[in-house]
Amino acid sequence: MSRPPSGNWLRGTVIRKGGSSVGNTRTSTPQIQSTSSTVFGGGVKDASGRVSEYSSMDDTCPVCKSDRYLNPKLRLLVSACYHKMCESCIDRLFTLGPAPCPICGKILRKLAFTPQTFEDLGVEKEVAIRRRIAKEFNKRREDFADLHSYNDYLEMVEDITFNLINDIDIPDTEARIAAYRRENAALIELNVQREEQYQKYLKEQEEAERQEREQIALELRRLEEEEREERAKERREIIDKLETSDKDAAKLVARSRADALRRAHARSSSSTVANARLQRSRTAQSAVVADVPHVPLQDDWYTYEDKFVLRDDYDDPASEAVRRDRDGIMRAGGYRVEEAWERALRSAVAGLEIMPLQGLSNEDSAHPNG
Amino acid sequence: MDAVEKANADRQKRWAKDQKIGEGTYAVVYRGRELATGRKVAIKKIKVGQFKDGLDMSAIREVKYLRELKHQNVIELLDVFSSKKNLNLVLEFLDTDLELVIRDRSLVFLPADIKSWMAMTFRGLEFCHRNFILHRDLKPNNLLIAANGHLKLADFGLARDFADPGYKMTCQVITRWYRPPELLFGCRYYSTAVDIWSVGCIFAELMLRIPYLPGESDMDQLKTIFRALGTPTEEDWPGHTKLPDYVPVGQFQKTPFRDLFSAASPECLNLLSKCLIYEPRRRISAREALYHPYFTSHPHPTHPSKLPKPADKTSATLPLEELDGNAEPNGNGPGVKANPPNKLKRKLSSDELSGGGRSIARKLDFTQQRQTVQ
Repeated sequence: MSRPPSGNWLRGTVIRKGGSSVGNTRTSTPQIQSTSSTVFGGGVKDASGRVSEYSSMDDTCPVCKSDRYLNPKLRLLVSACYHKMCESCIDRLFTLGPAPCPICGKILRKLAFTPQTFEDLGVEKEVAIRRRIAKEFNKRREDFADLHSYNDYLEMVEDITFNLINDIDIPDTEARIAAYRRENAALIELNVQREEQYQKYLKEQEEAERQEREQIALELRRLEEEEREERAKERREIIDKLETSDKDAAKLVARSRADALRRAHARSSSSTVANARLQRSRTAQSAVVADVPHVPLQDDWYTYEDKFVLRDDYDDPASEAVRRDRDGIMRAGGYRVEEAWERALRSAVAGLEIMPLQGLSNEDSAHPNG
Repeated sequence: MDAVEKANADRQKRWAKDQKIGEGTYAVVYRGRELATGRKVAIKKIKVGQFKDGLDMSAIREVKYLRELKHQNVIELLDVFSSKKNLNLVLEFLDTDLELVIRDRSLVFLPADIKSWMAMTFRGLEFCHRNFILHRDLKPNNLLIAANGHLKLADFGLARDFADPGYKMTCQVITRWYRPPELLFGCRYYSTAVDIWSVGCIFAELMLRIPYLPGESDMDQLKTIFRALGTPTEEDWPGHTKLPDYVPVGQFQKTPFRDLFSAASPECLNLLSKCLIYEPRRRISAREALYHPYFTSHPHPTHPSKLPKPADKTSATLPLEELDGNAEPNGNGPGVKANPPNKLKRKLSSDELSGGGRSIARKLDFTQQRQTVQ
């Protein structure tokens, strides 16, 4: 895996970026590290989405032999062929474009270096490969007719993964993957979408929980506040009573205390009941009913054809005022005489299709002053 | 006459009146139920005695229009009967209203929730307009919410049907904060666009959780509107300078919606801006609004049963203030929030047990002449 580094990487033909430290000499401080540290993405993310980077005190760049003692800001990154080297080496070697890996000779690019997450690079490699495989081999149990075929599929996935990790028959394995991808393109896409949806669902769930927690916290704070006020009031009360009445002081104090206790009890019990109910109703509802798409008109009024056509103009003496409205007062108010015409016409024809009633109901007794 | 009285008595027998739950300027609202089914209803008793010339106008309007309208998103008038000198309207019982929901700081609105409420408002309004009825008093506390989450337009006390040509309408309608500029300029000929403006204000209020255009007087209202939306030019709104009560109130620049509603989607702002167009004729109609991409874009409107609702106050146990008299005067139960102070308008909210609502009712009893409750 790791050949001893050959000498040709030390040829002085590469142009150094300004400020990048060579590392085998103690340059004067401050050292400017790589200018490209932000470019290196990738790596294994933890649950919170951060990339935790592995580094140890005995890190040594296998290429330039610089170590933490010489360069406290040493940062090792991992190449696509799983060889480590320090940022300054990467800058030096790959700034001018793809170049061979100084250790194994594979052609590498600068952007393909990733931060190291695990101490053992074998693990690093396996994680990356498994991740890549999982992206495409994402069939689920539901996609298979029986458990047996599902197990066969899992077996095959594991075979492919093993081959890739241990560099066995790489071209052959890659061909298998490509064939699988061709055959199952639609299903892969579908499963990706399913997965996305599930992620979204999880996120929503999380958000809802967070809001609930906030609400509860708010409620608690409020209650605390109330209680504090209550106590302060109570103290004032006792003092007031002691001042004004001539009864036994001890008795008065005892009675006030008892009152306060009862009040506090009632308060806490009622608020917890209300709280619990609120939460229950919100969560219970959100699980059951789905949101409904909007339907513009939810009744069948417009399914009937109008039995009339509105003309542009009518010989209507009543609307003279509107027509004579030179200043546009009616227009500025949004009044339209066409609406009045439409109303008149609609009222006139609306009942045409309705059959006459058989016998009169006594609906007209609703008139209040009758 | 006898037959009518008999029919009336028959109707009256179907309903039972329970406790009082609110009082408005011209009516007292009771909780009631249908005797046959036990269904909860609200009975609105119109005070007849105090008006010299017969019934109050708004009572007539309410009966007149609610009798005609039957829609999922409009409050249902179940029955009308008279008792002694009073007129009683039997209405659907609705738990709460949108204002209580907006004011309840413990509730979190999702964009989908707002979309759902807006869709239901526009559906109800479209139905009214389609039947040539202007509501003329849309505001959050007239949008009542049923137990199953459905929003319903209520309070048709200011409603009227479209005017015949040349027939003047009053411009003293719609609660000020929701009143469109053409009414503030005293326009006597207007159309359905006035309701759309109100809906636009409610839409903005749902997103902001505070009233969008809270003017302190009619004059200040115009200023507030112009400050938010920019002073209209003759181009924006042809002819507005000729309106009867037109007064220049100064030049203001429009604040972009984006600045105020930073989290809203583009479709959402588009619909809002179309509801708040100065020229009434260009303002979106309820029907067009229902086809607006805002409602069909993602996310879907929340299912009504899942919409946030204020916690049920009636079931919270009462604080022990009646045991010792030294509890704070406005002692709502714990967990009860945002009880809007002295709302004298009728409200079918379920706060009849909370101290706030009751103290107001008691106060009013002294000013209003007592009616015989039967």
